[in-house]
Amino acid sequence: MRDIGSYLRSWEGLLLVLVLAVMGFNALQTPYYLRLANQINLFTLSIEKVMVALVMALIIINAEIDLSVASIMGLAACVLAYLHSQGVSVAVGILAGLAVGLLAGAFNGFWIAYVGLPSLAVTLAGLIGYRGAARILLEDRSITDFPEWFNRLGQEGLVGPVPLSLLLFLLLVGLTVIGLQRSAFGRYVYAIGNNRDAARYSGVDVRWIKMQLFMASGLVSALAGLLLAARLGAVRGNTAEGFELDIITMVLLGGVSIFGGSGSMVGVVLAILLVLNLRNGMSLLNITGNTQTGVIGVLLILSVLAPNGVQMVRERWRRRPTTQQG
Amino acid sequence: MTGGSGPVLQVRGVHKAFGGVQALQGVDLDLYAGEVHALLGENGAGKSTLIRIITGVHPPDTGTILLDGRPVAIRSPLEAQAYGIAAIYQEPLVFPDLNVAENIFLAHRGQGPVVRWRALYRQAEAILAQLGVHLDVRSPARGLTLAAQQAVEIAKALSLQVRVLIMDEPTASLSAHEVEQLFRLVGRLREQGVAILFISHRMEEVFRIADRITVLRDGHRISSRPRDRVTPEQAIQEMVGRELGEYYAREPTQLGEVLLAVEGLGREGAFSDIHFQVRAGEVLGLAGLVGSRRTDVGLALFGIEPADRGTVRFRGRSVAIRSPRQAMELGIAYMTEDRRQLGLIMSMSVAANITLPTLHQYVSRLGLIRREQEVATAERFRRRLAIRTPAVSEAVGRLSGGNQQKVMLSKWLNVQPRLLILDEPTRGIDVGAKAEVHRIIGELAAAGLGILLISSEMPEVLAMSDRILVMREGRQMGIFSREEATQERILAAAMGQG
Repeated sequence: MRDIGSYLRSWEGLLLVLVLAVMGFNALQTPYYLRLANQINLFTLSIEKVMVALVMALIIINAEIDLSVASIMGLAACVLAYLHSQGVSVAVGILAGLAVGLLAGAFNGFWIAYVGLPSLAVTLAGLIGYRGAARILLEDRSITDFPEWFNRLGQEGLVGPVPLSLLLFLLLVGLTVIGLQRSAFGRYVYAIGNNRDAARYSGVDVRWIKMQLFMASGLVSALAGLLLAARLGAVRGNTAEGFELDIITMVLLGGVSIFGGSGSMVGVVLAILLVLNLRNGMSLLNITGNTQTGVIGVLLILSVLAPNGVQMVRERWRRRPTTQQG
Repeated sequence: MTGGSGPVLQVRGVHKAFGGVQALQGVDLDLYAGEVHALLGENGAGKSTLIRIITGVHPPDTGTILLDGRPVAIRSPLEAQAYGIAAIYQEPLVFPDLNVAENIFLAHRGQGPVVRWRALYRQAEAILAQLGVHLDVRSPARGLTLAAQQAVEIAKALSLQVRVLIMDEPTASLSAHEVEQLFRLVGRLREQGVAILFISHRMEEVFRIADRITVLRDGHRISSRPRDRVTPEQAIQEMVGRELGEYYAREPTQLGEVLLAVEGLGREGAFSDIHFQVRAGEVLGLAGLVGSRRTDVGLALFGIEPADRGTVRFRGRSVAIRSPRQAMELGIAYMTEDRRQLGLIMSMSVAANITLPTLHQYVSRLGLIRREQEVATAERFRRRLAIRTPAVSEAVGRLSGGNQQKVMLSKWLNVQPRLLILDEPTRGIDVGAKAEVHRIIGELAAAGLGILLISSEMPEVLAMSDRILVMREGRQMGIFSREEATQERILAAAMGQG
């Protein structure tokens, strides 16, 4: 176990300090910030993205990437909306949306894990393909006439003031934190991300682990897409478009190496808290959305370059003096 | 082209050590213009290190290299090229999407920003004509045969006014017909006054083409003579005479049931027609030189690169091993020779590495890893194999090579295999750790494990094995009993002189 000093000097430590600083600043600026309603609202506004970010973290630690998540979110929402417009019940629509997400993830996973194509290429194709399917389903329509209960599920508290989406997010945080740090599956994810050949030579079923990750990514993305539909009360062909970039940058801000093999869920959760609190604080100060995006954009650029850059420099230094044996 | 009758390149008293291992200990070598100079030696004799020093990949610890009698410091392969020293290897380094002419002139620099294509093609054609090779210089290198790719590499060297050309196992992947073509090229180069350092494990080739033969052993030059003053038998004897003294003398144990019986085993493009048995308590050595495909046999039995021909019986049952998991379930474990890339996950802890293949045994009903149980296993192996590490939670990458090797061994012993395939189990570790690994192998065999020991260290194979199977280029050359086996016989078989 590392001592507290080295923990504070780590990336997670830095993120924790930043989160606390932002929260402190927000609390001083406006008393409204600390109210429960605002704290819940702060999560709810980006809940779909942060949910997907948790699974994305696993995929990037595994040295892969999934660019198709936002398109799967959109596709699941569009499947639901389309079936609803055809008179199918919303409950069946939800199941169909989840199933489509799982299938889309399995399709990605098959090409990546079993055929061996790079995930960047496969999921880029997915990004375009699944979005295309979503647009074909709804064309230029916007579906809004969902039943009362569905909209309430997305917009109102389920347990007291806490909405379903936040509960699901917290559940997912628990699952991924424990899953990655304490379960055999998490150990395999790290091992493969570090050195997939060594993992394979140790009898780890590398392909099945990757397949499972992409199926999980598809399923959670679909779930997030359905929650987004419920929260907005409207679905269009372009629902959730472009979300993948925010999602990936949040993961990288959390200190996950884009080369795979390192990073922790704690870092990712802290990064999520940082972005959400920063955005919320700026909203409370009436800073416009464009400026907010700009500020967070700069922060993300710096944060993505900093840890990976530092690591690269360190690697260079470490590799330089070593020699190979003849 | 030659500058008098002195040697073009002289190596004088070169020493080189890696970690604690002395790779070269005062080696001398003279290369004359217009001679083909063959370098012979077992695996680990120091041939590769010598090449790397001549081509500027490694600096020598002490000693000098003289070019035309003047000492030079070659600090990089690029500088070596500037001095007229080039090397080609078994696998040619051509760029498939560039055409032949571009590949030939790739290394040329500083000729201005504009490529004069017509001149380039003309020069490329001239060089190839000089070599007597007919190739379309405008066609892409993709799709050329290996021999043609090597011709392109040789042309590249010629375009750089090469004076010393090192050919490291250039014939290993060539067909007989292509070898003939290559030898014609070598003949042309010799006529043009190029000094050629030729490395091959094929005795008949060496004795056909070389003008002079130098033998290395344990980092020393043993002899250097004109070809007509040495016979293949003499050369082999000089290559082997390594000391056996420091090796652990294993007492052969009572042999048990036949664990593994392999018949006609083969994999397309790798090896074929392999027959052997391993019994409980037996160490079967697998000897051979680099490129003999011993590792591929191990990988086939562990299901990483499954065999596509022949039958495998394990404990009397016919099995088709398709995956490492299946091999492990049968009771077969394979410890790789490549500790860094394939054996261990360097940033993970000692404990996590040891339990990786058996992690499912450490999982509670909720799917969580039982840490205490994992640590207990790691501590048990730490004591049993005397692994020196501050803690089992230490990243394995921070341990010494010998201790990493023991972690790797622990990992496979924890699988509790019946058959353990050890691929170069003592490579790159110091003498003390080596002796410990040998002792452990002896104990494992005594405890009834069957062991398939792949090793390039002849004394190790001889000291540890009950029987020795010798391979050469994917073929089985014979199985020798402990009584029959001598270094000379094994090396002769491994070089196709048996």
